[in-house]
This record gives sequence, structure tokens and C-alpha cells, in this order.
Amino acid sequence: MIAVIGAGPAGLAAARVIALSGVAVTVIDAASKPGGQYWRHRDSVTGYKAGRSRKYFDSIQNHPLITYINGAQIWSAIRKDNSFHLNYIQDGVERTLHCSQLIIATGAYDRALPFPGWDTPGSMTPGAAQALLKGHGVVAGTRIVISGTGPFLLPVAVGLAEAGAEIEGVYEAQSPLRWLQSPLALLLNPEKFFELVYYAKKIKKYGIAIHFGRAITQFTAGTAQVSKIRSDLTMNNLGTRAVNCDVVASGWGFVPDLSLGGILGCSQAVDGDGTVVFHVDRNQKSSIENIWVAGEATGIGGSDLALVEGEIAGLSAISRRIPLALRVNKMRKQLFARALQRSYPVGNGWQDWLEDDTLICRCEEVSCSHILDSVNELKAEDSRTSKLFTRAGMGLCQGRVCSRNVCELISEAKQVPVVDSERIAYSNRPIAAPISLGSLADGIAEQ
Amino acid sequence: MKKNVSFSFNGSEYTGEEGQSVAAALLASGLTQLRSTRFNEKPRTIFCGIGICFDCVVTINGVANQRACIVTISEGAQIVSSQ
Repeated sequence: MIAVIGAGPAGLAAARVIALSGVAVTVIDAASKPGGQYWRHRDSVTGYKAGRSRKYFDSIQNHPLITYINGAQIWSAIRKDNSFHLNYIQDGVERTLHCSQLIIATGAYDRALPFPGWDTPGSMTPGAAQALLKGHGVVAGTRIVISGTGPFLLPVAVGLAEAGAEIEGVYEAQSPLRWLQSPLALLLNPEKFFELVYYAKKIKKYGIAIHFGRAITQFTAGTAQVSKIRSDLTMNNLGTRAVNCDVVASGWGFVPDLSLGGILGCSQAVDGDGTVVFHVDRNQKSSIENIWVAGEATGIGGSDLALVEGEIAGLSAISRRIPLALRVNKMRKQLFARALQRSYPVGNGWQDWLEDDTLICRCEEVSCSHILDSVNELKAEDSRTSKLFTRAGMGLCQGRVCSRNVCELISEAKQVPVVDSERIAYSNRPIAAPISLGSLADGIAEQ
Repeated sequence: MKKNVSFSFNGSEYTGEEGQSVAAALLASGLTQLRSTRFNEKPRTIFCGIGICFDCVVTINGVANQRACIVTISEGAQIVSSQ
């Protein structure tokens, strides 16, 4: 039996192509509705080319060869003999799904950078504002400032404006001129131009102001400080101004969720921008026999690339030939993904924004000075040692939010580059989600 | 029109729309704090919105550390701030 973890674009594309080829497949997903983060919805999917989601939703809900397990949080995965056991919690009950082949399509989440006040209510990731709106029909605030880097900021701003929020500015850290470095990627992905035009029209319609080379560098309830910054994110001291708002949404690209594949031993690599991703071959096969990975977990590339990778993974899992057109499409979209990395880099200059008492680890409330003290006074050599001294990354989120930032903060303090093995170490965790001892003790209901 | 769902949070009654998360329903009701932090007693609420950061954890019907951003409201649920 084939199982697909994740019902976002990559997982849906994999499951659909498998079912259409006449093979049974089970899709297991943590959310109650299909779509992942990209096609998150309440009643129907909205936004650019939302209609694309329809055929995938139709398959997962109606195709007789697809079993769809929703609301299921997988907390551990085990490889035993020739099968995989996925242990998950659904409605408070622990269950296990057995499969012989596994396609991992677990997506990614926003990367957050710390700044003074980022732990104040009203400060959130753009993904949170988007999820509140698309998934729950709640507009995060009345006057919203959006900051960070990358094209994702635009749909978030447009969605919130459409829902009635006042967008007090989108502050994109990088200059759009950086795209001039990637002419081939633009030329080979002309459809991206139409997407840009779609958003440009809406931005004009709602009168959203976009400012480049700036970022939110401080937030206190009611006011964001927006500073002019260089491309490495350091402040250039050319000006900071106060912007009145009740919500700041700040996001710096995405972090793939590697937990489950990591537990199963799938080998990982560090991408050009420091993101840790799974190493896969041209057929999306991981280093572990019978495991494929598709979508953001193999490198941040957006939904277009995720759909193609999902389809390739699905076809490969049932030993079907991969059409040449699909391979060409993947190459084209990978080229675009690399252009995104070049256009929206996240340098270490954010460390410039910090104050001594700015929290780096939100869960355990570990401040910037705690971490620097562990290096300077206690002689921690790396983020792992600092973690043992300070508890940074040892809270409920298991370092998902802070570990990369802690690592890069220490690397700057010691003036030593981060080695790949450290990046891979902080991207993995022994369990994928916290589980109560009670649920464990109750035992497993067989699926 | 969505069905209304009533629940309590820290002893007060709130109403949300069917299918909404605890965090979304409370934010829509104007509540901007879900809990206080352990050490500095600072207010916290929704941050990542998708179940990654655990900043919004609350106790729901006696079960601690539930992520308010991904648990759906249910009729009569008793929700309190995690300590």
C-alpha cells in the first residue's frame, strides 16, 4: 500500500496520479480539509488560479482508490522490515497506518526573524494572517503592516485588503532589481508574468503601498518601527519611521518541515540559501528505499513546482514512465526557484535589530544576551552547547522557530561559518509532535 | 450563514462560527491574549497560525498544551489559559 503524507499541492498531485493509474493510495493529513497551506480554505479556495485546486479536491474526496485520513497528527514513524508504521493521533486516539511505500509531502512554514517586540501580541507571521483569513474567516487586525521578503507577501497583503483590512504598507527588504540577475528563469517561466500582473492590478485597486529596502525592526503595541536596510538586512541608519498599526506580519521565506523523513533516516542536504532539504534523485526518490519526497521539503519552490514534483513522485512510486514534458517543467520551475533564492536572500543583518533583552527562543524565553553570554562567558562552541546552557530550542516547538536563528547568531558572534552538519542537526527532532504520556499508555488502535 | 458555537474561555462565554479554530474565534471576539508566559508572565497569542510554534497553547476540557490555532471550537468546550 502507498501512503502520501500531506494533502497540499504536492501530496494531492501524487495521490491523484496514482489513483488515475488504477492503484490504491492513502493520503494522511493533519488538517481537517485538503489543500495544505497554499489551498487553505473555508468553503472554497480563493486567490490566483484557485480553480486549479478543484480537480485535486474532487479526486481526494471522491476517487474510489483514494483513502483520505484527515485531522491526523503523525507523531512518529518507524521502518520495520519492509514496511513503514506511521503513528498518529486522531480525535485524541492513537492509531497506526501501515504502508510499504511512502511519499512525504509535508510542506513548509514561515521563517520568522526576531526583532524587539516580535513576541508582543499583534506580531505574527504572514502565514498566520493568511491562515486566519483563508481558514477561519477572521481578519487579523484593522491596520496591518507587512514586512519581510519574497513574493508571498503580495497575496497576503491583497487577501487582507480584500477582506477589509487597511494595509499600512508592504515593506519588502530586497530590491526588485535583483530579478535582473535571473533573465533565463524569467524567460522560461512566462506564466509568472501573468501572476505578477494579477497581483499588480489588485495592489493598485486597493491602493497598497509597497516599499523596498525596508523592514519592521521594532514593534510595540500600536506602533511598528520601519527602518531602511541594506540587502544583507543591516540597518543603514538612513532613517526609521513609526507606522501606526495593530498587527505586524513579518516573514522571511520558508522552512521545510523535515521531521518525519528525518526520523526515517532520509538523507538531507543544505540548499544554497542555508535551508535544509531532503536529498532526492530526479524521480523524487529519497536515500531510503521506498520513500519519495515532493514539494517544499526538497527545496522551497512554490506550488507550481510542488505539483510537478508530486506527480513525478507518484508516477515513480508505481513504476510508471515519467513523461519528458513533466521533467522539462520541473527543470523550468527549479530554475525559477533558484531565481527566488537570488532575489530574496536573508542575510545575517537582522542581528543588527536586536536588543539585549530581545527574545530569540520564544518558548523558553531565552534572550539575545543569554545566548551571547553562553558563547562569551560559558564558552559554548556551537548552537547545541548553547542550547544546553540556555534551553534555547528546548521548548514545545522543539526549536522549529528559533534554531536556525540561534545557530546564525552564534556563528556571527564567533565569526565562524555554520557547518552543514549543524544545520542538519537542528532541522531534525526525535518526535514529530508532542504526545501525552496518557495517549501513549492507552495503546494503539489498529487501522 | 455558519452555525454559531458557544464555549467558555477563562470562565467567560464566547461564541464563534462552526469550523473556526479556538484562536480565530477568540481573536474575532476581540481577545488579544491567550496565555501568559511561564517566566516573564508576558502575554502571548497566535503567532505562526498553523501549529508550528506552540505559542497559542491552552487547556481544552482538561487537556493541556492544545494548540488554539488548530483545534476547532466545539459546543460547550471549557478552555483555560495554559500556565
